[in-house]
Amino acid sequence: MKIYIFKRLIIAGVTLLGMSMLIFVLMRLAPGNITDIIFESAGYVDEADRHRLEAELGIDKPVAVQYMVWLGNFVRGDLGKSYRYELPAWEVIKPRLPVTLELAVLALGFSVLLGVPTGVMSATRRGHPVDYVLRVFSLAGLSMPSFWLGMIVILLLVRSLGWIPSMTYVSPFENLGANLFQFLLPALAVGYRSSALIMRITRSAMLEVLREDYIRTAWAKGQRETQVVWRHAFKNASLPVITLIGIEFAFLIGGLIVTETVFNLPGVARYLVDAIQGRDYPIVQNLAMLIAVVVVTANLIVDLLYTWLDPRIKYGQA
Amino acid sequence: MIRFRPLWPLAAVMALIAVPLLPLAATSQAPKPGGVLVTSPLSATPSLSPHEESTIATVQQASPCFNNLVYYDPTKKQESVDTIIPELAEKWSWQDGHRNLVFLLRRDVKWHDGKPFTSADVKYTFDMVRAAPDAKGRLKVNPRKLWYENIEAIEAPDPYTVVFRLKKPQPALLPMLASGYSPVYPAHVPLAEFKNKCIGTGPFKLKENKPGEYVEYVKNPDYFVKGRPYLDGIKFVIIRDRSTQIAAVQSGQLDVAGSGWNRTNAEDAKKGAPKLVVMEADSNVNDNVLINFKKAPFSDRRVRRAIDLALDRKGYLVGPRQGAATFGGALLPKPAGVWGLPTAEVAKLPGMGDPTKQKAEARKLLAEAGFGPSNPLKFTLSTRALSIYVDTASWMVDQLQQVGIEATLEQIETGVWHPKMTRLEYQVALNLTGVGIDDPDAQLFENYRCGSQRNFSGYCSEEIDRLMVEQSQTLDRAKRLALVNEIDRKLQADGARPILGWGKQHWVAWPHVKGWALHENSIYNVSRRQDVWLDK
Repeated sequence: MKIYIFKRLIIAGVTLLGMSMLIFVLMRLAPGNITDIIFESAGYVDEADRHRLEAELGIDKPVAVQYMVWLGNFVRGDLGKSYRYELPAWEVIKPRLPVTLELAVLALGFSVLLGVPTGVMSATRRGHPVDYVLRVFSLAGLSMPSFWLGMIVILLLVRSLGWIPSMTYVSPFENLGANLFQFLLPALAVGYRSSALIMRITRSAMLEVLREDYIRTAWAKGQRETQVVWRHAFKNASLPVITLIGIEFAFLIGGLIVTETVFNLPGVARYLVDAIQGRDYPIVQNLAMLIAVVVVTANLIVDLLYTWLDPRIKYGQA
Repeated sequence: MIRFRPLWPLAAVMALIAVPLLPLAATSQAPKPGGVLVTSPLSATPSLSPHEESTIATVQQASPCFNNLVYYDPTKKQESVDTIIPELAEKWSWQDGHRNLVFLLRRDVKWHDGKPFTSADVKYTFDMVRAAPDAKGRLKVNPRKLWYENIEAIEAPDPYTVVFRLKKPQPALLPMLASGYSPVYPAHVPLAEFKNKCIGTGPFKLKENKPGEYVEYVKNPDYFVKGRPYLDGIKFVIIRDRSTQIAAVQSGQLDVAGSGWNRTNAEDAKKGAPKLVVMEADSNVNDNVLINFKKAPFSDRRVRRAIDLALDRKGYLVGPRQGAATFGGALLPKPAGVWGLPTAEVAKLPGMGDPTKQKAEARKLLAEAGFGPSNPLKFTLSTRALSIYVDTASWMVDQLQQVGIEATLEQIETGVWHPKMTRLEYQVALNLTGVGIDDPDAQLFENYRCGSQRNFSGYCSEEIDRLMVEQSQTLDRAKRLALVNEIDRKLQADGARPILGWGKQHWVAWPHVKGWALHENSIYNVSRRQDVWLDK
């Protein structure tokens, strides 16, 4: 097991290194750089000033040299400085992390709480009207983009109650109630889509497991429904569900751009888009790396959970 | 034949929404102090340094922190040299035939950090902006250096006197100094600090700036204008999504909103919250067509004129501008503008006449230039990838098609728009230009002079350059206006940068917001907000 984790960590390191190169090169392939953006807001371009600025920021050097400089700093824990805000990159990124993390955790929590029971219910009542209703409910969730749902919710709220969640971020340490109130709607809007996905995967996995012999044996032994369904069937059906939850969490960390925009939440995803548009290389590079780390870590945790859920799986053995 | 809907319903709508403007603009109530006003600016500001930016977003969010030597009176709707009021300067006078501009400064002004304001700060600021060789600071980018190139020296003979010595007379210097882009910076604060912080003399002190989230100010208790500001604070909340902005103002989270809005946005907001007051005014922001003079066949005057004639201005008004625009030449037309062409002449500009006849004339000119059905003129029409640009450019493609021009729309990412225009890397483009002050020196020198960095069409005429300099030095206002009109006529005849029209600004505010002023010939010079108060 230890060898397996070690190997996975090595692979994760190589993946992150590859990612960092890819992001570095892709950002520089896009037309324009930060000096263009600076002059864009000034409404003109002075070539001499532009070259001076490029030299100041070190972006006049070959890409390979720039990459090595960045990598060296990154390894030493120096994330560089935001070109746009002229502040340390970590100082800019840090306050945005809890926002996205909270939204992702709440949305995922909601989607699991809704998606898993409805998926199990739908599978155990296959062909029953409840099954049809739940499938339509999940299909609707998959069909509606979460940002659109969020926008509709906002419009309905403002029309009917004349109220919408706060447009400025309220920290949970400042006012927990207000914070949860602010995150409730976006979490529901995002979580609904994820719950639909989880519900469908849970249903199909459960249907497969419920046909197994050991389930029939459990029924024959006269065990209660909750015991058969949750203890015997769901535990074995949960592997693909856990995988999906891991993937969804990774997606939620970097993929909530529009939801964060609609609900005006100052999270990582919205900021990443701003940084890309502003060619703020240090911010893009570090945020993309952060998301990559989350994806790699989530995958590793999911793989490790497999061994706990299914003792037949043994990593590191032939 | 293309028929257009009559415009009287639009006029009626304009009249209806103009009426509620009155309670905000003029009120006989005694102002009440207190309260924090929450609004949403156009976008996040790249910095709090107006001298280094050219976006209204910076002016909106930085102006409450600063003061100018002089400023435009917020209560007068039209800005002109007659509406300039003192700020940091108590008095000023032109001397030596408009060669020297002397300012006597207030003695009771302190920077937000407690240090006294003196003439050294004024000299520091404007030496830096004009990039004087001995300037003590250097701006990272300097978009308005051109405004101050006629200054020979700035002298500070004592702590409360400043003299601007000019190479040649230039009455426009005073209006330029009154612009929202001309605040005075403290000489003792490093320039780099204005990226995220602000030390000014203004009515509000910076409380917190969370880049991309909000900029929050609190009342400056030591402000030199006694009894101002009325508000305890102002908060600029960045809301990127327009629908969310509308919902935020409807729900009362914003007291006032509308930067960058069109008429439909304002009407939508009011539909959901009928108590909202809609404000509409001219803006001195124009939609203009850039035709690259350096690329064939656009160097051919007939081709340029054909493009100009093909674009039916009344169609532009009812189409992309939804009825909210006025027509004119290179300078904002009357009555909102001071220097524009007379109304009768505007009516005769290309694109203003009968669209059928104009399009026939355009086809004829194209044929003379060698283009026709068998050999159509084809080009790429570039525009910035923002809806306010793309809507108008899409409309242009259709108009051009009606005279046999095959234009392909190219959307250019906003971050590289100006670099591409500066390098003339386009054929024909649709551009928006906001004019900082309604003065010919600012508009003409920036956009039409040979070699100017913002002369995006590459237009160059020695005669126009000579006339520009002449009008700039003319002290008699009537004579100057005549010269400016002459320049404008020539620019329109040359197709230097055809103006489709001048857009309007739209704002909505709750009735408790008082003193939220708008100027009709610039959006840039009215953001101090020291006279705004809340009737709560």
